[in-house]
Amino acid sequence: MSSKAVIGEDRAVGNRRPAWGDMTLYLGAVGIVIAFSLVCLFFGRNFLTLRNIQNIVTQSSIIAVIAIGSSLVILTGGIDLSVGSVVGLVGMFAGALLKSGVPLWAACISALGVGALTGLVNGYLVSVGKVPSFIVTLGIMQIARGLALLTTLGKPISRFPDGLGLIMNAKVAGDMPTSVLYVFSLYFLMMFVMSLTRFGRHVYAFGGNPNAARLSGVRVRRVEMAVYVLSGLFAAAGGIMLLSRLSYADPNAGGGYEMHAIAAAVIGGISLSGGRGRIGNTLVGALILGSLTCGLQILNVPTYCQTIVTGVVIIAAVYADKAGERRAE
Amino acid sequence: MTESTTATDFSAEPPAPAYLLEMSGINKTFDGIRVLENARLRVRRGEAHALLGENGAGKSTLVKILAGAYRREGGAMLIDGKPSRYQSPREALAAGISVIYQEFSLVPHLPIYENIFLGKEYGGRFRVDKRRAAREAAGYMRMLGLDLSPETPVCELSVAQKQLVEIAKAVSNRVRILALDEPTAAITDKETRLLFDIIRDLKRRGLGIVYISHRLPELFEIADRCTVMRDGAFVGEVDMKDVDEGDLTRMMVGREVAAGKSRRRAAVRPEIVLEVRNLGHGDKLRDINLALRKGEILGLAGLVGSGRTELARCVIGDCRFGTGEVVFNGRTLAGGVPESVELGMAYLGEDRKESGLALAHSLAENITLPSLRQFGRGILNRRRMLGACREYIGRLRIRPDDPRVAARSLSGGNQQKAVIAKWLCFKAKVYIFDEPTRGIDVGARDDIYRIMESLVEEGASILMISSDLTELIKMSDRIAVMNRGRLAAILENDGRLTREEILSHAIAGGKGTTAGKVA
Repeated sequence: MSSKAVIGEDRAVGNRRPAWGDMTLYLGAVGIVIAFSLVCLFFGRNFLTLRNIQNIVTQSSIIAVIAIGSSLVILTGGIDLSVGSVVGLVGMFAGALLKSGVPLWAACISALGVGALTGLVNGYLVSVGKVPSFIVTLGIMQIARGLALLTTLGKPISRFPDGLGLIMNAKVAGDMPTSVLYVFSLYFLMMFVMSLTRFGRHVYAFGGNPNAARLSGVRVRRVEMAVYVLSGLFAAAGGIMLLSRLSYADPNAGGGYEMHAIAAAVIGGISLSGGRGRIGNTLVGALILGSLTCGLQILNVPTYCQTIVTGVVIIAAVYADKAGERRAE
Repeated sequence: MTESTTATDFSAEPPAPAYLLEMSGINKTFDGIRVLENARLRVRRGEAHALLGENGAGKSTLVKILAGAYRREGGAMLIDGKPSRYQSPREALAAGISVIYQEFSLVPHLPIYENIFLGKEYGGRFRVDKRRAAREAAGYMRMLGLDLSPETPVCELSVAQKQLVEIAKAVSNRVRILALDEPTAAITDKETRLLFDIIRDLKRRGLGIVYISHRLPELFEIADRCTVMRDGAFVGEVDMKDVDEGDLTRMMVGREVAAGKSRRRAAVRPEIVLEVRNLGHGDKLRDINLALRKGEILGLAGLVGSGRTELARCVIGDCRFGTGEVVFNGRTLAGGVPESVELGMAYLGEDRKESGLALAHSLAENITLPSLRQFGRGILNRRRMLGACREYIGRLRIRPDDPRVAARSLSGGNQQKAVIAKWLCFKAKVYIFDEPTRGIDVGARDDIYRIMESLVEEGASILMISSDLTELIKMSDRIAVMNRGRLAAILENDGRLTREEILSHAIAGGKGTTAGKVA
């Protein structure tokens, strides 16, 4: 048996998407980068500089981290709309703690706790209460935003101790921003968990057919709840990252992040019907969104047009993905 | 019958009358795999034409081409001698073709009449004339003996009633060719009689009926002629008068199938593996006492709705029951499905697509799902998982034998085998089979019997729910008969047990004489 065949076989346990689906995604990503490079070249600028690439990753890093959680939830066939508000709530919560003299590490852990707690509430209501995830997380989205505003009656918090800024703004291994490190290590960890642990396989099985999973002895409620808790945790991590980058806690921070995170997952081919998609591709999705923003900024395209382009890309990605399925029928 | 059989030349052309439907030379490929090759179907006016073949023989594909759901590749399709070139289900409907699939295409929460007139509502652009639709729907319903208000939402109907609504819908479309896919798979014997009366009436009205079923005896009752397919190709077209069940089976399978042979009895061991004590669940189950021994196949008979599936679900822990207890190897179960599975119980539901497999996932992923723990603590060993899948795929002769294919692309029989493989891999000790051979063709059915035999020989125990009494008598060591939520009898299967005896327990004390469901 050649090593190539073994690699192909390995995909039988873990793959979610036919090869052409991945190909369209990667080609799309490369295509966008090439297109920007050419256009920039035409205007006498260079798109593919180290600085630009670092910028792209740093700018996409927060959405990329949040999108891990969104992808997990989508894999179970649900949706988590609350993550954007959780980013805001966590920022205010950690900010208030820091202001009152709590050490940085304790503030961060408490912030993650808040994220996990909102996730637990989401997960409980969805898995045990059987309330549709769209409704539950829509409600929690409002509640979390309200709590964030309530913390300081709507006023932002600023002037934090220096340590906070180091989380995002320090450099590691020479010139690499820490955010790059976070993104790649978290993605690497979750790709591993999703394809090579029981929990990961249970998430896929539950999303693919909840009945079959239940009758196969999968503790389905626990799995579903865990996914929302993880989503809350990743959102909280995103919240801490944002707080560190801005050194400024705004109760309205993170507004609309849930949509960017879902967009990253969807561009990456995570199927909204559950059970299909690879977590690693979500990162590609987030990077596609990031390069779009960055490229359009370099080209001085007005912000309003940027959102239009983003919308087009989201639809185009899923359209291209579905094209193969349509052909198969 | 044997004389005429040997004389039957399957390839001989009957004198050519005008056919209502003539499909010939039909090809179809999916992803480069040829599923139909030179398929053929010819239906006369006023005849019921059986379409017969094993699962995966291409019947459904052919019918979907007829329905306009798939496009054919090559070949010709004549309706009333005129070539037709429709491209979509809508155009097929307009050409007078209706197909009633096993999964009905009704909108559950809409009333019957709206379902019947869906897509062809009366009225102007802004106002739908509901009164007229309801009135006409009532007419069709009367014709089909459907004694209900046209306002009833479809979700409140039984399977048989929904089927009649589908037929009413077809009739209201001025159907000329009506195809029925396994119409009797989920309805009772009495309802089957009624359906056959309706089919005969439709025949008299000059319709052509295409009738797909695996139940050979009923084909002899309702069909006039039969087209047999195998591996996507046309095998033969015969008059039902000229053949017997053996001939049809041979044509379908292409080889001799040993039928009716009783299984070899494994020695049932005395230890009790699973015990149900005084189980009660609302008015669905009452005072159930059962014991399943090691190496035993315990059949569970009863009419549809007698509580067999509810019992299975209570045993597996999928349903909270009111009173009583389930004891597995001396341990009283309380932890729901995960606990039951952990202890070695497997439930193989009657709807494989609903409860057995994640269709979009690969065979390997489905097979290894319950037994992931075997493949490493923490980190799963994919190579070992694939090795195990290969082993069970080979042992159960699952086709295609590639662990990477999606469960969706397997035929019904192979999907059932995949579900079994899942539990074999898990090394379950008790298997609860709910209608293990429903909708499965003859060849695969024999395979599944063989697998069940070897399971009990290896010391596993089986609780087998089936509506097919012949199958129960063939396979079971004992047969428990359920009757309206109670255990009516437990019969020793000593070789003299008859279907009539089982049936008498299943229907005893009922109001009137509802005929049991005998396949």
